[in-house]
Amino acid sequence: MNTSPAEIEQTVVAFLTRVKKYPADFHAGMSLAADGVGLDSLETAELSATLEDAHGIDPYSTGIMPQTLTEIQAFYDTVPTEV
Amino acid sequence: MAVLTHAGSTSYADLVSASRRVAAFLRRERISRFAVVDHEAEVIVPLLAGAALAGVEACQYPPADAGEVVDLLGRLGHEVLVTDRADLAGLAERTLATHELTAQAEGSDDIVVATDTPHLVLTTGTTGAPRGVRHDWSRLLRGTPRIKSGAGERWLLAYGLHQFAGLQILLHVFAAGAVLVAPAPRRPIEGLAAMRAFEVTHASATPTYWRFLLAEMRSDGGPVPALRQITMGGEAIPGPLLGDIQRTFPQAQVSQVYAASEFGSTGSMRDGRAGLSISVLERGDDADVAMKIVDGELWIRSRTGMLGYHDEAPVEADGWRATGDLVEVTDDRILFKGRSSEIINVGGVKVHPLPIEERVSAVDGVDLARVYGRPNAMTGSIVALEVVAAVGADRQAVDAAIRRACEDLSPAARPRSIRFVDSLLTVGDKIIRSHTGEH
Repeated sequence: MNTSPAEIEQTVVAFLTRVKKYPADFHAGMSLAADGVGLDSLETAELSATLEDAHGIDPYSTGIMPQTLTEIQAFYDTVPTEV
Repeated sequence: MAVLTHAGSTSYADLVSASRRVAAFLRRERISRFAVVDHEAEVIVPLLAGAALAGVEACQYPPADAGEVVDLLGRLGHEVLVTDRADLAGLAERTLATHELTAQAEGSDDIVVATDTPHLVLTTGTTGAPRGVRHDWSRLLRGTPRIKSGAGERWLLAYGLHQFAGLQILLHVFAAGAVLVAPAPRRPIEGLAAMRAFEVTHASATPTYWRFLLAEMRSDGGPVPALRQITMGGEAIPGPLLGDIQRTFPQAQVSQVYAASEFGSTGSMRDGRAGLSISVLERGDDADVAMKIVDGELWIRSRTGMLGYHDEAPVEADGWRATGDLVEVTDDRILFKGRSSEIINVGGVKVHPLPIEERVSAVDGVDLARVYGRPNAMTGSIVALEVVAAVGADRQAVDAAIRRACEDLSPAARPRSIRFVDSLLTVGDKIIRSHTGEH
């Protein structure tokens, strides 16, 4: 599965658009939590499942709590391309 | 005629003769209990009836491979195995060929009927390994004198006779003097073919079976079977499915049965509405089956139910038992919310899968849906959904429609994961909701 930064961004942006939390000024360093995008715990859980479905693994399931898109992309940089 | 299959028909007289021959053989060989691995009604019926006549405990296993049969033989302590399957030869201490047992030359017309008539039924194993449920034919037959004559009726056997529901159909059909139409295998596609070929008038199956059968009919575009009676049971019945069935078979009376391997049948609801009438709570102490609700769970006291589980202490046969079915009373109905074992814990919030499944099943483009708890590091579980889309449906559009249909559910109950699949995992034609989806 493709885990390039561009693919990860596409998954996250599609998710934020679907749950209607994609701010016009969104950027990779923006917090995904209440002080930024505003994902609640259930939406974060959903993002975790969405990332796992799309890319075979997700940072939340490994105990990491990324706060931004940049941190999510950084997680995938550390895992093999094919998982 | 008693049993009708694609291979031919068997009369009541033939079944009685074969049963007597089986009983005589079992007595002669001093066999006290046995397992059987065969599934054709015309051989299973004389085996079960002959065992009952002789007071021998029979237990029919589900279709299983050799490894599973070895496991069951060990767990249930069966030393005698009756089967025509060559791959099972030598697995038990003693193996008897089914066709030889039912074709014994000698029977007896004056066989003394046993007073203890044990029978062992395996649960479907939707929540774990199958368990042996101990019954006695005298209790199972308790309600049959009330069954009216059904001459001319042709009943589809959609369940296996190893399932309690299959036995219930068998007892009803034979007590009514009707014909049992027994296709093999018993999948919806063969069931539909048998309905059309043998002019089936009555059919009883799980809601999951009926969903598959409707999908088969939509797919093949063939004629609608002229059913006069449709019965659903074995799992909770979604309201939308009830409507689909009534629209597809407008001439059929639709009824629901609420039954389980442990407590037997509780009777049927014939008003075509979801759930049970609250009148079932007022049946009184004299009723064979009484019900009450305790903390949102249905409890049952049955005089036709089990005596206990195999290799466990007997239960109080006529005592109250929790069913594991969660219910709520709305107006004059008892509505099923799901099994207590199927509750999904989403961040501490208990979510019942069934109402969500009903809602999703009603969405255009959805043939089948299964709601289950998907493990999640953030919230323990999230509500997840597997969907079988209708042929030709646009999956993206169906996905969006499902999300819109669930928008007003509480946040914990909204499906957070939707996967489109080709088929759903079922056991005994029941959807497995406790499975986490990693199949």
